[in-house]
Amino acid sequence: MFMKHSLVAASSLGLALVGYASATIANEAAEDYPTKPLQFLVAAGAGGGTDNFARTVKPMLEEVLDTRVTVVNLPAASGAIAHQRTANSEPDGHTLDFASSTLVTSLAAGQNPTGLDELTPVARMQSDVMTLIVDPEKYPDFESFQKHAEENPGEVIIGGTHAASPDRMAFLSFRDASGLDINFIPYDEEGSVSANVMGGNIDGMFGEISSTLSYMESGEMMPILVFAEERLENFPDIPTTVEHGWDLTDGNERGIFVNADTPEAILAKIESSLKEVYDSDAYQEYEERVNLHYREGWLGSEEYRLQLEENLENYKRLLEEN
Amino acid sequence: MLDSFLNGLAVVFQPMNFLLLTSAVFIGFIGGALPGISGVILVVILLPVTYGMDPTAAFMLLTAIYGSTVFSGLITAILYRAPGTPEAVMTAFDGYPMTQQGQAGKALGIGVLSSAIGGLVGTIALIIFTPMLASVALKFSSPEYFALAVLGLTVVASLGGRLIYGLIGACLGLFIATIGFDPLTGTSRYTFGTLELAEGVGLIPVIVGLFAISEVMKRALGEETHQPLKKVSIRIFDMPILRKIGVTLSRSSLLGVVIGILPGIGASTAAMVSYSEAVRWSKTPEQFGKGAPEGIAAPEAANNAAAMGALVPLFALGIPGSGTTAIILGAFIMHGLQPGPMFMVTSSDLVYAVFAGLFIVNFMILLFSKPFIALFTRLLNIPYSALGPIIVMCCIIGTYSVRNSMFDVWLMLGFGVLGFLLEKLKFPLVSIILGLVLGPIAESELRRTLAMSRGDFTIFFERPISATLIVISILLLTAAIVVPLRKRAKLKAANT
Repeated sequence: MFMKHSLVAASSLGLALVGYASATIANEAAEDYPTKPLQFLVAAGAGGGTDNFARTVKPMLEEVLDTRVTVVNLPAASGAIAHQRTANSEPDGHTLDFASSTLVTSLAAGQNPTGLDELTPVARMQSDVMTLIVDPEKYPDFESFQKHAEENPGEVIIGGTHAASPDRMAFLSFRDASGLDINFIPYDEEGSVSANVMGGNIDGMFGEISSTLSYMESGEMMPILVFAEERLENFPDIPTTVEHGWDLTDGNERGIFVNADTPEAILAKIESSLKEVYDSDAYQEYEERVNLHYREGWLGSEEYRLQLEENLENYKRLLEEN
Repeated sequence: MLDSFLNGLAVVFQPMNFLLLTSAVFIGFIGGALPGISGVILVVILLPVTYGMDPTAAFMLLTAIYGSTVFSGLITAILYRAPGTPEAVMTAFDGYPMTQQGQAGKALGIGVLSSAIGGLVGTIALIIFTPMLASVALKFSSPEYFALAVLGLTVVASLGGRLIYGLIGACLGLFIATIGFDPLTGTSRYTFGTLELAEGVGLIPVIVGLFAISEVMKRALGEETHQPLKKVSIRIFDMPILRKIGVTLSRSSLLGVVIGILPGIGASTAAMVSYSEAVRWSKTPEQFGKGAPEGIAAPEAANNAAAMGALVPLFALGIPGSGTTAIILGAFIMHGLQPGPMFMVTSSDLVYAVFAGLFIVNFMILLFSKPFIALFTRLLNIPYSALGPIIVMCCIIGTYSVRNSMFDVWLMLGFGVLGFLLEKLKFPLVSIILGLVLGPIAESELRRTLAMSRGDFTIFFERPISATLIVISILLLTAAIVVPLRKRAKLKAANT
């Protein structure tokens, strides 16, 4: 009896020890992290919004984690190569993938083989507001745009960047919700789209509010509808999708991803370090400078994952229906 | 405006700024001369450095680098047929044969002068006409772009050599251009499921492979007859030559400015179209590709003018006209500036300082290019057994750095072998590049046009600019086919 008891006790002690040991290994790994310089894989070309985001975070994260960071741009295939390389990297949290919403839109369109089961979102740090932008001389407000589109089915053309982009998804979800008969033409660059809107060759575009401010000032282009629950504080005159009864609120978002096998403890450490960066004055100043401060950017790992999964389902459905 | 410009000049001549501008020109010279290191990469590398600077100084630095890389790509293109930048690829077609004939100095001189003149014309247009030219850019939409691409492609019929080879080459280029995701629907085409091909075949691996690598192979195999070159003396102002290329220079500079301001197509396309036009209007088109001075003047004047033209929509509308200007646009935002239609008003001091800086840069190119090129010509005395591997190494590093992709390096080496074999057949490599650069423009703009008009082709003739361009293309194409046929008929008649 006694023997048996002690055996059980010993074995449970042993188990506990093993459990304790493995927990400490993970904790120690997280405490030691980072053990070597980090690598940022930017899923976009140099100079764009995602690249600027990564390069702004770089010195800040270097300071928080007391390490060095190298930035590598992998723009090919809408960033799919960056995602693939992150998924194939050592799961030790030293390879961070900086990506925009294009990650889910290209996943939905089947252009990106690396799914959300292979990548874990660490955090979302930017959330830009999607808007419908038009030439105000053609359409002074959303009502006139809507009226024109209803009276001329199939005539209204919206421009955007490629077939699997966040602005195409905005177009599809807008058309789905509003029931308007409008068409989409993809261009290679955002610049070509705005040139065509300003030149009067197409009727409008979906774009981020941060990039249209200067055009609003000069009156050449104007957002007439924002994808948001409530009117933006800085733009109280622009109606929202939710006001019209359409549940459309996604915009272009930017966040950080790691290999899905990365240990919890390390993931948590990266998340808290990024949060520290996000809350810093320097980072907030940058958000304000590039006009990304209209909406809360931060979303933690778990919430961001749920939101991305929901977006993915939605985009897949929209693409199948069209 | 003159006041603003003079104020800008005063800013440029502040000692610190002037030093910055001079060093920018040298950085640009070096980067542009190395194959694969283009202006885009240099600007990206230096971008973080500028964050700590005053915005005016930062953008003077970035735009000066941009301007000088476009120039210095011609050096290695002429001396080794290894274009330092994609913009300089057309320069190699006539520049390198001149080097082979022992006229490297003359070729370089023409290149330097044409670049500086093109750059100056472009800068002056930028300074005086920016607000006006920006509205021209907005007149161009899909139908006009398509018509322009067609006009460029029709030149295949007038290029020297056998017509059938030219056609095959253009088709090969068009085919390579279709690889990757379909630009409109996103369907993958000829990618064999690999992500590396999803974005398509880049211009740099093809150019570096077809020209630089194939040439190294040819010389390594001892098939090259090179005139011994002891001393290269560059003459920039050579009156007889200047008289010969004057018309080409003015036409190409103007073409360059106009093409440069169109968003989305840059200096490479400008160089190509103006080379085509130089061939077309020449009285001796058969000289092209064999060392015609106009063949250097046309692309060099055009690409430098276009580089300045590409800044017009950037400053006036916040729309980048080319790859490098897109990065400069990103840099504006990072500096907290607001590019767009109001930029010329709200940041006029900065804009005119940048304009003045670019104006000065063109004179610096004239002044500093000679000693800089001398460094490279001295390399010609190094035995090719040592120089060849160095060229290959530069090509590999440069190609890799464009997309951080080893796949592109293999692709580049593959195109090297292809280029070597095609040249044995006396195949005009220029037609491949023509198809590759103009193909994607023609394809996607045709489809966009038809989406705009809902399948109605008459849209091309309803819009004045596209109608004019298409009619010109048709006339030129008919002439290119009918004239030789009539000549042949006449010969026959004379013989019988």
